[in-house]
Amino acid sequence: MLTVGLTHFLILSAILFAIGLFGVITQRNVIKVIMCLEIMLNAVNIALIAFSQSVAPVSLTGQIFAIFVMVVAAAEVAVGIAIIFSIYRNHESIDMEKFNILKW
Amino acid sequence: MIMEHIQFIAPEISLLCFALLIVLLDLFITQKRVLPVLSVIGAIVAATFIIVIWNTPPVGLFDKMISIDPFGLFFKLLILAATVLVILASHNYVLKFNKFQGEYYALLMLSAVGLMLLVSAINLITIYVALELSSISLYALVSFLKDKKSSEAGLKYLILGGVASAILLYGMAFIFGLTGNTCLTCIAEYVRGMPFKDLQEVPALMIGLVLIIAGFGFKIASVPFQMWVPDVYEGAPTTITAYLSVASKAAGFGVIARVLMTVFGLPVWLHNDWAMIIAVLAAITMTVGNLVAIVQTNIKRLFGYSSIAQAGYMMVGLAAMGLTMGTKENVTGGLIFFLLSYTLTNLGAFIAIIAISNKINSDEIEDYNGMIKRSPLLALGLTICLISLAGLPPTAGLIAKIYIFSGAVNMGLAWLVVIAVINSVISAYYYFKIAKAMWLGTPVTEEKVDASWPEWLALAACVVGVLALGVVPGLFMNLTTAAVRIFGI
Amino acid sequence: MLAQYGYVGILLICAIGFTVIIPLIPKILMVMGLIPTKKNPTKEGQYECGMQTIGKTWVQYNFRYYFFAVLFVLFDMLTIFLYPWAVNVTGLGVGGLIAVGIFLAILIIGYLYAWRKGALQWK
Repeated sequence: MLTVGLTHFLILSAILFAIGLFGVITQRNVIKVIMCLEIMLNAVNIALIAFSQSVAPVSLTGQIFAIFVMVVAAAEVAVGIAIIFSIYRNHESIDMEKFNILKW
Repeated sequence: MIMEHIQFIAPEISLLCFALLIVLLDLFITQKRVLPVLSVIGAIVAATFIIVIWNTPPVGLFDKMISIDPFGLFFKLLILAATVLVILASHNYVLKFNKFQGEYYALLMLSAVGLMLLVSAINLITIYVALELSSISLYALVSFLKDKKSSEAGLKYLILGGVASAILLYGMAFIFGLTGNTCLTCIAEYVRGMPFKDLQEVPALMIGLVLIIAGFGFKIASVPFQMWVPDVYEGAPTTITAYLSVASKAAGFGVIARVLMTVFGLPVWLHNDWAMIIAVLAAITMTVGNLVAIVQTNIKRLFGYSSIAQAGYMMVGLAAMGLTMGTKENVTGGLIFFLLSYTLTNLGAFIAIIAISNKINSDEIEDYNGMIKRSPLLALGLTICLISLAGLPPTAGLIAKIYIFSGAVNMGLAWLVVIAVINSVISAYYYFKIAKAMWLGTPVTEEKVDASWPEWLALAACVVGVLALGVVPGLFMNLTTAAVRIFGI
Repeated sequence: MLAQYGYVGILLICAIGFTVIIPLIPKILMVMGLIPTKKNPTKEGQYECGMQTIGKTWVQYNFRYYFFAVLFVLFDMLTIFLYPWAVNVTGLGVGGLIAVGIFLAILIIGYLYAWRKGALQWK
């Protein structure tokens, strides 16, 4: 019988991370870009918790780490949304391609 | 159990308290000029605490979360000095966002708290949280002007910074998965005990190492994570650009040096591997920075590329430092000395730029034409800093470069030093382009440019520091050598 | 192995049966004449109480909702630290209580800030 082990979690995490990175690069809507950023962080969380379960099941270090990652990600999104307000007021748009005053 | 070690993190706690006090006071008072005074007092109090605990033997606190050692304390003082100088230089600049002065100073101090924790963190969790504490404050500060350029710069910084920290975290997750620990010394013990002879035999360690270098590479602006630098430097408020270019970069080098030296320092094959990665990145970083800087016309953008190039020189020092592990050579103060000199020099240059551009409302180099006639002292100060950045006598820049390059040659990185010297020559061209505009150009108007007394004070402190480091470097070299001794070299 | 899937199958059958039978009961009762069958527009509406929806669902929201969303996310995050503490209050003792107190005090400063700056008002 097939058991779900560390490898499967790591593959899931790698796929999610890749999806997130791809989204950050290709998406044009800023909100979507930030959502993809969150997907990347959540991929890391999955990896951390899977490692924690299989490598250090007693100490819970990985799970604590994941909690901190979640909180920091929330703070980051809050600042991100605030910056998007300010961009929206200036540009009347949240399309990445329209932000071209500064060359990439 | 928490309370008995509380004095060791008193600097951070006091700075945090002052930041919160500023936020609260700002809500209830109308006399905003109190706020910078309070923030400078907060920084001085924190510095006093650091000096009080300076001579304690290195110790890991709170379940090996924070380490108190000369290396971290040196960086903390450097960060505090940079913060105070930036606050002084903001004296006139903050009038652009008069209503939000409280937030400005509070965020600046919170970012300093994050950076101070970052350089003394010895646990992956603390490193991540401290890094984000400083970064998130800086995201907000970069978009503080709320105009088109500034908010765009803030968004770019946020997105690229977010990606970089996700990459860093992924690397940390692999290191954690390999070793089952997040504290740096425990990881180091595990790594030393591994029965391998080559990095390719431990893919998890290789992925972790590369991703961590990439993640920190963003903070120190090394290639290929340098693309945010020019945009953010140009769009951000100039005071924050100054802060980003020195404090954030110094702390980034502090933490990357600590992680690489403690975790990946030994066995020998391991540090040879990462030192070579850093050396190659250093060569590319300084070349890219210098070549693109030549064509810039905006002074903030130019300094962005210049700071990329300087990061390249610092990485030469980092690579040499890595190769020194396990040998008897003593060359490693170079990176720290270079950071000290770079901090003073770049801050000095930026303070002059802040004072000038605040008056003439332009960041274009051609508007600096004939600045020597409009404000002799500001132009002179900026010129001294430019000389130091180019690495010419009698300034700190020369000594720092000699120190760092001789160390690298001793460790067999002669090819890298050749590239670095060629790069220094190229860089002299664009630094002197600014100096030439100021000394030989014809001014557009005869209107005088003046600065306020805090700006003069900050500029004077920087220029005196640059010259002192250049004339009597011996005084500071002992300090920098003591700082790196904790890595057992 | 198969027996375990069998439980899932039983659950599935129960679920389908339940969802089919429940809407049929009133119809059956109606046919048997056990319940009154007076019709009126309110009864026929999608929602028995509450208002009819107006317009399409894909409209642009006022971006002020984002302010509240941001504030909500920030203050919501405090539970993530309070929960592990609450699970082991006695074990963590006075030290834990002080730590959580400091954490809440800092959050309250944030709340005060948002309040004084008028972020909680709809204007």
